[in-house]
Amino acid sequence: MAQLGKGRLNYRCPSCFMRDLDIDMFYDKEKDEYCCIRCQYRGNEEDVLAKNEMARFRYKSMKKRFTMEELRQ
Amino acid sequence: MKNRFIVNIIHRPEMVPEYAEKVTGQGKAEDIGRKALLTESLDIFKTQQRLAHENGLKTTIQMTYASLFNDEAVAIAKEHHEKYGDEIALTLLGLPCKEFREKYKTKDFCIWMFSMEDKISIVNDVFEKFHERFGFYPESTGSYYMDAELTNYIKETYPSVKCAVATCWEEGPKAYHTCNNSWYTLMDGGPWAPWIPSKVNTHAPAANEAEDSGIVAIPHLSRDLLACYDGNGSNFGTHPQNVLRGMSYYKEDGEYKYPYFYNLVDQYRVLGDYNNGIAYNMMFVGPGWMNKMGRWEAPYELLYQSYSDGMKYYGDLKKQGELEDLTMAEWADFYREHKNYTEPECALWKDILYGSDKQLFWYNDPFMRVCVNMEQGGAIVDLRPYAAKLEWPVGIGTPHVQDCSYPFLIQEKYRAGYFTHYAGEGTVRSAKLIHGSEEVDLCLCRTKAKFSEEVMKDEKGRTVELAKCDMNDKKGKLVLPKTKTSAGKIRKLTLEPVDIEFSDLKVKLQTEIIFGEGSSDIRIKRNILEMSDPKAELKINEYMVACYGTTEYPEDMTCVTLRAMGALDSYEKGLESGRITGIDGGNMSSASRSIDYAYKCREEYVPDASAVNASIRAIKTLVTMTGEGGKNNVGYIKEGYAFSPMFTLGYTAELSAGDTYTTTLALERED
Ligand SMILES: [Zn+2]
Repeated sequence: MAQLGKGRLNYRCPSCFMRDLDIDMFYDKEKDEYCCIRCQYRGNEEDVLAKNEMARFRYKSMKKRFTMEELRQ
Repeated sequence: MKNRFIVNIIHRPEMVPEYAEKVTGQGKAEDIGRKALLTESLDIFKTQQRLAHENGLKTTIQMTYASLFNDEAVAIAKEHHEKYGDEIALTLLGLPCKEFREKYKTKDFCIWMFSMEDKISIVNDVFEKFHERFGFYPESTGSYYMDAELTNYIKETYPSVKCAVATCWEEGPKAYHTCNNSWYTLMDGGPWAPWIPSKVNTHAPAANEAEDSGIVAIPHLSRDLLACYDGNGSNFGTHPQNVLRGMSYYKEDGEYKYPYFYNLVDQYRVLGDYNNGIAYNMMFVGPGWMNKMGRWEAPYELLYQSYSDGMKYYGDLKKQGELEDLTMAEWADFYREHKNYTEPECALWKDILYGSDKQLFWYNDPFMRVCVNMEQGGAIVDLRPYAAKLEWPVGIGTPHVQDCSYPFLIQEKYRAGYFTHYAGEGTVRSAKLIHGSEEVDLCLCRTKAKFSEEVMKDEKGRTVELAKCDMNDKKGKLVLPKTKTSAGKIRKLTLEPVDIEFSDLKVKLQTEIIFGEGSSDIRIKRNILEMSDPKAELKINEYMVACYGTTEYPEDMTCVTLRAMGALDSYEKGLESGRITGIDGGNMSSASRSIDYAYKCREEYVPDASAVNASIRAIKTLVTMTGEGGKNNVGYIKEGYAFSPMFTLGYTAELSAGDTYTTTLALERED
């Protein structure tokens, strides 16, 4: 197995992101997957993107545009 | 009154962006003189400048040391100053370059972490190089943090400096953690909005001219005052790429959208409502965030688009007459013209991201920084005693090489707050209501607040000077009044009443929290509005669980002495004689009790106590609580133990319907 390298973008580990850790993953070109070297997450680009969507569950107002009136208290 | 919304847009030509070597340079041996790196960095700066100018906005160009060696960067700054009115300033960020490394033989790049000797040498070097290139000294400077000693030296040597970026709000252990414990910006506990730093401690605002460091400080970015308090600071600020980093954007119909960014800017616009009509916002995106390789999951196109959209939003607001773009130096003049030393900064902040309706109130003045959490019944969940103006030198050769945080007395995230696991207590200032064997903490009573600014009146309705604003003086109970000069204004939070249900009694209670301008006191009133059984017994326990620290880990508490003061006459004698210190000093009456902290879990109760207080010698802070109202008023102090390294100050009293119980928390320096 050759050393891990950089992928197309510097994807962070979705599992670590969920615990407020930004860890860039490294890319295994043979298996076409990204690996977290801190936790046990491994996944291809599609899986990373899907997990990132999942990580957004807590942002319930992410799509809401507040009016100034709504922001006034 | 329409709010004035002032924005500072700052760009820096950072020839070797902080992230570049680690991110874009991965897999290459380190070489900070790489031609490609320099070209790309300058291109990003040019792009940022163009996007601001295209939207009719002027900027503050903060030249980095490295960029002063680059003729093109210098030429651009001169040209944009002429053409667009941009200010040419000087940042202490972006030190790394070949010239710097050769001269200082270190890879350190954060100015506050150097030894004082190096700080002086670097400042001289950088400012003189700037003068050599431009023929004048800058009016603005900055870094992620500017320690007081550094600022004092700069002001003394280069008096033209009037504005500086001087802290990143709540960038501390949380940011360190997010960066896999490798990003050492430990600077919690400062202001989120512009302030005048004191000469002794940057985070603590100056209370008067004598304490004035001579600069107006601005925070590095305008951050989400709710999201950043419990999350990574670099995910939630008016910095488009921070929003990408936090992943609070989404894709819809092939387009990326980030309404959160606009909501954040707009919430900053609303803050004028609490600050005499002046709202402030800043954007300062380092070039490393817009590199061609992409950043985080975002390709360059998205990095570019988000920056472009951010500038467009500011530009559109300006066109609508809703925004004034000032340079940093212009802002410093504006600030000094419109603000005074004692005017607090207030922010009633609401959740705009998570879909809750949580509300926090942040208060900042020369004596304290406070966070009140309406989701916890108006509990104080963060408290920094600026009244102590604690000396806290940082950098190599000091006791705090990296830790710039202003110590807390209360920090609910680092010291549990209301909820602890199985044992012990966490830091919080709240109250419990007790009926029979039942007890309800206001931390579990969710509510909302309204903000008001009022002129303090005496009993006859006359406006009073703050020096006479002794709200408890009928009983002589307000301890340690300060000498005030300005007319007494208060900032008040009026909370919606909450219902407290016991098995056979319902109580409606309203909380008011009052901050007197120019005073280091926080007054909390609990009004018992209704009781389902007016004859029922009801007891209140007003308490503050506190400790001290700057990080998540406990400190040595043996520097703490607790006192519950007995008869008033004896306490006043203590005051007259200067200070009440020693535990068994002659100033204490026989009714008074004290505890020298030794983790022995001791408690003392003093009926009709005039005050309870704690000296925390490690941070030169004396915190005092007084309480009055109801019947059988008892002051108490509690020591903690090893598994609960806290102390408690409190009062209990019996209340009936219609009663008001008032406590005052006062902070001061104690040497
Ligand atoms: Zn991971």
